[in-house]
Amino acid sequence: MQQHEGPIMDPIRPSIDSDLRTRMVALEAHAPVNEGPPPLTRAARRGRLVRSASMVTVLVVAMAATAMAGAAVVVTNLAHGYEGVENPGQPLAGANMECMTPPQAAAFLAGRGYTGVVWQVESGDPSANGKGTTSVLQSTPPAHGFVVPGAILGDGHLHMVIDQQSGARGAGDCLGQSMP
Amino acid sequence: MATVIRPRSLPRSASKVDPVAFEAAVRPHYDNLVRRLVLVLGDPDDAQDIAQDAYLKAYRSWSRFDGSDVRAWLYTIALRLAFNQLRGRRRWLAALHRVEPRGWADPSDPDLWAALRRLDPRTRSALLLNVVDGYTQREIAVMLSVPEGTVASWLSRCRASLREDLGRDR
Repeated sequence: MQQHEGPIMDPIRPSIDSDLRTRMVALEAHAPVNEGPPPLTRAARRGRLVRSASMVTVLVVAMAATAMAGAAVVVTNLAHGYEGVENPGQPLAGANMECMTPPQAAAFLAGRGYTGVVWQVESGDPSANGKGTTSVLQSTPPAHGFVVPGAILGDGHLHMVIDQQSGARGAGDCLGQSMP
Repeated sequence: MATVIRPRSLPRSASKVDPVAFEAAVRPHYDNLVRRLVLVLGDPDDAQDIAQDAYLKAYRSWSRFDGSDVRAWLYTIALRLAFNQLRGRRRWLAALHRVEPRGWADPSDPDLWAALRRLDPRTRSALLLNVVDGYTQREIAVMLSVPEGTVASWLSRCRASLREDLGRDR
């Protein structure tokens, strides 16, 4: 029986084992080395994972900034409103002034300290493209009209809208009733 | 059989946290480490990252190095980092139902590279340490933190697989 020394080679393909190291060394020599080692003075790692984390941070910050800018644009484009004094949590919440006549509403408000009320009286015919309507501000309440929930405007005064326009149908609980 | 060039030992006196001594001892092995990691991981970018991490980790651990074989020590650190990364990446890919990217391709010896890529990265690294670097099964077992018998089994299977693949390709 023939004695073998070292690795047992396939008798049909003897070169496979013998040149394996040569081929593997050559293969490894072709592997790319794109960068040298990192500076030892640098505390932060330069790994792709760290770079990715940095990119994620930048992305998150950018997204947050974009969202804030977008929100600012949205807020800017929104119609500026004022908190209705009859809205839930506001001083006149649940007052149901829309079912009162304007003089009743004025008395109601005066009883609660609203003495400097501005009455904004809308009248005319809105069907004529707005040309037949008028809007008058006055310090006394008109005799009739639908009371529309008021708002405290920028001047600090409570503005109450009285709708006297033709076709007005009221608001709130008294929607559809006849005009006071 | 080709002569295996073993790494030179580092004098114990150099085993201190000294950037100059560290770079003088470790830097010469860095490029080969990157190339080795390309073959183990199959991706040059991953290899570069792991090599850099290993380099810095080796520097931080320089005072604990026993001064025996700096290349084996550096390769041990890098391969363990590489295997940890592979485990994490596989979990990540599995979670996303993604397949492993194709990575580096060597046109100079595509048959050998294809045959090596069919091997598990740990067994592939053991084969490279044995065939290219000339480390013994016992040394490889220490480097990869596996029993010596496991390394013997890996190498046997690797050689059989390569014989099969390369013989079939020819």
